[in-house]
Amino acid sequence: MSLLKVAHLSKTFGAVRAVEDVNFVVRPGEIYGLLGPNGAGKTTTISMLSGLLAPDAGEVLVAGTALAADPQKAKRIMGVVPQELAIYEELTGRENLEFWGRMAGLSARDARARTEQLLASLTLSDRGNDAVKKYSGGMKRRINLGCALLHRPQLLLLDEPTVGIDPQARLNILEFIRDLRTGGTAILYTTHYLEEAESLCSRIGIIDHGRLLAEGTFAELQERLGGDRLFVLEADFKNTTPEAWPGFLQRFRLLQQTERQIVVAALGVRDPADCFKELLNLPVPVENVTLKRPSLNDVFLQLTGRELRE
Amino acid sequence: MLRVLLAKDLRRAWRNPLPWLINLLVPLAMTALLGMVFGGGGEGGSLGKVRFAVVNENHSRFSDFLRRAAGSLSQTNVSGLQLEPVFMDRTNALREINANQLSAVVIIPTNFGRDYLTARVPVQLELLKNPAESIHPAVIEEMLGVVVTAMNELSRNFHDDFPEWRSVFAGKDDYHQISFLIERVGDQLKSAEKIIKPPLVGYTKDETETASLAADGKKPAPAKRDELHATFAFLLVGLAAMFLLFLGQNAMTDLHREIRKRTFERYQTMHQDIWRFLVSKIIFAVVMLLICSVVMLGGGGLIFEIHWQHPLALLALAVGYAGFVAGLSATLVALVTDERRAAVLNNVAGMGIGIIGGCAFPARNLPAFLREQLTPLIPSNWFVETARHLQSGDPAAAGWGWVLCKLILGGVVLTALAAVLFRRKFKVGLRA
Repeated sequence: MSLLKVAHLSKTFGAVRAVEDVNFVVRPGEIYGLLGPNGAGKTTTISMLSGLLAPDAGEVLVAGTALAADPQKAKRIMGVVPQELAIYEELTGRENLEFWGRMAGLSARDARARTEQLLASLTLSDRGNDAVKKYSGGMKRRINLGCALLHRPQLLLLDEPTVGIDPQARLNILEFIRDLRTGGTAILYTTHYLEEAESLCSRIGIIDHGRLLAEGTFAELQERLGGDRLFVLEADFKNTTPEAWPGFLQRFRLLQQTERQIVVAALGVRDPADCFKELLNLPVPVENVTLKRPSLNDVFLQLTGRELRE
Repeated sequence: MLRVLLAKDLRRAWRNPLPWLINLLVPLAMTALLGMVFGGGGEGGSLGKVRFAVVNENHSRFSDFLRRAAGSLSQTNVSGLQLEPVFMDRTNALREINANQLSAVVIIPTNFGRDYLTARVPVQLELLKNPAESIHPAVIEEMLGVVVTAMNELSRNFHDDFPEWRSVFAGKDDYHQISFLIERVGDQLKSAEKIIKPPLVGYTKDETETASLAADGKKPAPAKRDELHATFAFLLVGLAAMFLLFLGQNAMTDLHREIRKRTFERYQTMHQDIWRFLVSKIIFAVVMLLICSVVMLGGGGLIFEIHWQHPLALLALAVGYAGFVAGLSATLVALVTDERRAAVLNNVAGMGIGIIGGCAFPARNLPAFLREQLTPLIPSNWFVETARHLQSGDPAAAGWGWVLCKLILGGVVLTALAAVLFRRKFKVGLRA
């Protein structure tokens, strides 16, 4: 049973369709990654799921209950980690956690106990009595994350929780999130970092211009490109039309073409050595052929025609 | 939960007290400044002693006469002013005025008496004002203006007698001549009595009301020993109301911060209703505004010896007014969540409500349309007028309880409006 079900979710701001007919589910113990560039609609989606924005169309079910019907019930089992730091810089880390624990409905004693647990988990116990304004960026991100976990939510919505911090701090946070999954928490994780989505997420939904273009496990998304390998050819491809090469499209799928490079995937299960020979015999003098595993960027490229990093 | 929200804000204010200290100190400083202008208690009148020097370079009987006339001023108290003339030479006078010991120096130049009584050339009295002072030198200048006007009138009306007075001052006439001259001048002044002392229109307060209050055993209104004190008390209430409008807006900048820092949003991801969050902000603002009211009204009263006639009623009204101001400020934040644009709106709203409400100056001085149609609708006016009626013992003050209810109701309605506006803003995406 899914803890979060999103059906035909849409939101428009004037002439801009920020989110258009988005559908996905998040199950307990799963990390669902929503991967897309800036402006793709990730934050708008999270805002609608957390009750901050009213959708124009669609339905959100949290643990089987419609969000619109009983938003308070949904918010009780939900924890939201916003993209911006939403903490009080004048207060200490401990005070921030205790306050948001009380806001989440915990008693004073439970909030204090849970705060100590989280400070230990987030390795901030020795800095708990320092004002947050004295924290580093990574530490602030950890407190920001901890403030959503006081009440042990069954569903956790994270909106780019590692933006703007150093790689080591990011790794620590990702490790922490992985541990949350083992406790059965359903996690929706939005990001524009490919490596995060690849390493962290059980399933990934690729979103761009408000539309969910594809979703699945990493392997399933790779399969869209025709298997687990891609061939990168380097040559002068200016003024060439690979589609016109005899038998090319019957054996390969063209994913990307530039003046100096084309990326192709073999159709069907074929021996890579045979593929190499055929590629070297193309009508164009090939200078270099590289074999690589398809990345999410390749998937995004195939879906949108541009790289995620642009 | 309300207690937790309040504790959070108090803790934050405690950790960053500077904005709040400024909010408290600025009105106190303004109160003290205005109090010093209008009245400061103690003996000697509201403006204190005015020390000025008279330098007589004429050394004639006429200038001695003027000098003695100036000396007699030290025995008088003119409208609360106590004058202290001192007599010295020019050098000493200049030294003392540079040392800030004198407010002004009046110099009677050489041959002043002769030139005045012969009327051959225009005469001048010299006035040096202390540039470090503003009020006392202005007072001396005004008084000197009166003296010059009187001397001009004397010259115009008694010009024919001047040769004889000249010989009197030169010591050439005997007492018979002098008495004859004085009698003639007396006759002339008597015939001009109606012009010199015209009948004045005035009014006096009915003292029987004061006496009956005393007979009831209640403390009668203290005698207005200093009209300037009463004016200051009158103004202080209006100023306090005006300051509280702006202080309320300052208090609600914290709500702008919560929006900007996304903590308000975070609260809304946890709670569908936002009224508790808003109410905690309102209560916090009311507490801070109440402290400011006590500082201004109570502190101002203590420092400048203003006896508030009904302090509890005034305090209750201040609470009600603080609630209204806090609700209004929250509504303004909900209308304009952008902090920079809100600052413009807040200033315009504060000034408009303050002026139309009669805080800055009496409402009766406003144009008729404002005075009759708008001013009675402004809660600032309710507070200010009721507080003034309480202080002056006006029977209209008896309705202060109803005014208090209106102010509280206004605050509640505005808070509810703010909550509705915020709810709408959240639906379409609340951003600072």
